[in-house]
Amino acid sequence: MNTQEEVGEFTQIFNALMSLMRKFIFKVLCAGPIPNHVSFIMDGNRRFAKKHNLTGLDAGHRAGFISVTYVLQYCKEIGIPYVTLYAFGVDNFKRQPEEVECVMDLMLEKVEYTINQAVSGNLKGVRVYFVGDLNSLNERLRVAAQRLMEVTEENKDLMVVVCVAYSTSHEIVHAVRESCVRKCDGTGDDPVVLQVSDVEECMYTSVVPDPDLVIRTGGGDRLSNFMTWQTSRSLLHSTATLWPELGLWHLVWAILKFQRMHDYLQKKKKLD
Amino acid sequence: MDLNQSMRLLSSWIAQIGVLGLDLLWRFIHLVVSLCYIVSGIIEAVESYAISLGLNKKYSSINIEKLRCLAVVVDIEEARDVSKVIELLQWLRTIGVKQVGLFDSQGLLKKSKDLILGTVPGSVLSEEIGEKDSSPDQNPLALEFISSSDNKEAVMKAANILLQDHLKSSRPENDKGENFFTETHLNEALRVVGENVHAPDLLLVYGPIRSHLGFPAWRLRYTEIVHMGSLNYMRYGSLLKAIHKFTGVHQNYGT
Repeated sequence: MNTQEEVGEFTQIFNALMSLMRKFIFKVLCAGPIPNHVSFIMDGNRRFAKKHNLTGLDAGHRAGFISVTYVLQYCKEIGIPYVTLYAFGVDNFKRQPEEVECVMDLMLEKVEYTINQAVSGNLKGVRVYFVGDLNSLNERLRVAAQRLMEVTEENKDLMVVVCVAYSTSHEIVHAVRESCVRKCDGTGDDPVVLQVSDVEECMYTSVVPDPDLVIRTGGGDRLSNFMTWQTSRSLLHSTATLWPELGLWHLVWAILKFQRMHDYLQKKKKLD
Repeated sequence: MDLNQSMRLLSSWIAQIGVLGLDLLWRFIHLVVSLCYIVSGIIEAVESYAISLGLNKKYSSINIEKLRCLAVVVDIEEARDVSKVIELLQWLRTIGVKQVGLFDSQGLLKKSKDLILGTVPGSVLSEEIGEKDSSPDQNPLALEFISSSDNKEAVMKAANILLQDHLKSSRPENDKGENFFTETHLNEALRVVGENVHAPDLLLVYGPIRSHLGFPAWRLRYTEIVHMGSLNYMRYGSLLKAIHKFTGVHQNYGT
């Protein structure tokens, strides 16, 4: 009993020290420019499960969710106002039906868990927003996502945009369609011509500014149909680390890279 | 009151010293990061020269057939030096690449199109392939010149074509356009406005950072994006290495 108590106390002290060290690291990091919006392409969950011989179709994705909670905590502590997570792409629906169903069930479980956390006041300033073709999700998940968006609507510290049933090509087509239908329904004698701003207003991700930094895990060098429209002036950072293994130092390294290139990125934005 | 004022002044000084200390520490960290980049740059340069000299057998043969279309993104400052772009194209031709899209955001390379086509042997505009006679002995290098006007502006032109067609069609009330505005329709409309909709397999970025700098979004979905550094310091070995690495990539396209 005493040994267990001692271990428990030691763990608490260790966690407190780690937390202090982390806050100090972030204080130093914040001496320089911090990205306003960071997007994550969360690749590598299935390979993580295979690497660690985890059983269950959703084992890797469960580990991935733990990583999500840590990364969001770090982003909030650093003071990044917007984070986008590429959770599930339109092309992912082509996976085995059992796997898709498993992932959808896991998402529902985690959304309901997050709703409980939000209602209990544990989400501390985090606003969650779901974007994508939400009509292609099952009704339970869609309703839960809507509920989570409602209960976190007033939170202002960190906006987390979760891209589900999302792809750039789908987003562009949807935005073109929506803006065209709006123009057709409009009144007045003005010529009916679409502008870039009309289409961008209708994009799924219009709720957030363009990303400054895109971090892809899993070693891939591609955007995989994610925000190619919005990332003209983004630093694309790729790491071979699998998503469930992404830690504090990976995030710090990516932000240091962003800080090195910040002046160049600002110059490019001004040229636009 | 004096004591309170002194305390406030002292806290202010401590805070300022703290901020200065954090700033110095931040600069020191960035100095260390820059040193890491210098060392890694030296290692890459040595590796690249070894590859160029044929010392690394791994790069002696490349399955170039897998690379159907390559795109090169050049930062606008670097695109002003067309001679470097010409040299790069000559290297690509030597490697066996058959189709190259050249992109810079402001269309500087488009303006130098005639110079590039006149200087790089065997190069033709990609839209002219098939129009000209090409004997089996010739290996034309098909070039495409792309700029930001082929990105969002082109999608707007295509969207306006679809909009005008939709307005002219007889459509039911409360029509949401789901059958009219699809990926296929947008692809077709982009072709009508003269845009190439084919996605490059590999995108090489020559510039200070790894960013696609506004390459047409519609074409970038599963393209591998590799940062090659500055065009002024480009190396043949690095180019070979990037293409070789691409030929080993296996994509599952989300499945």
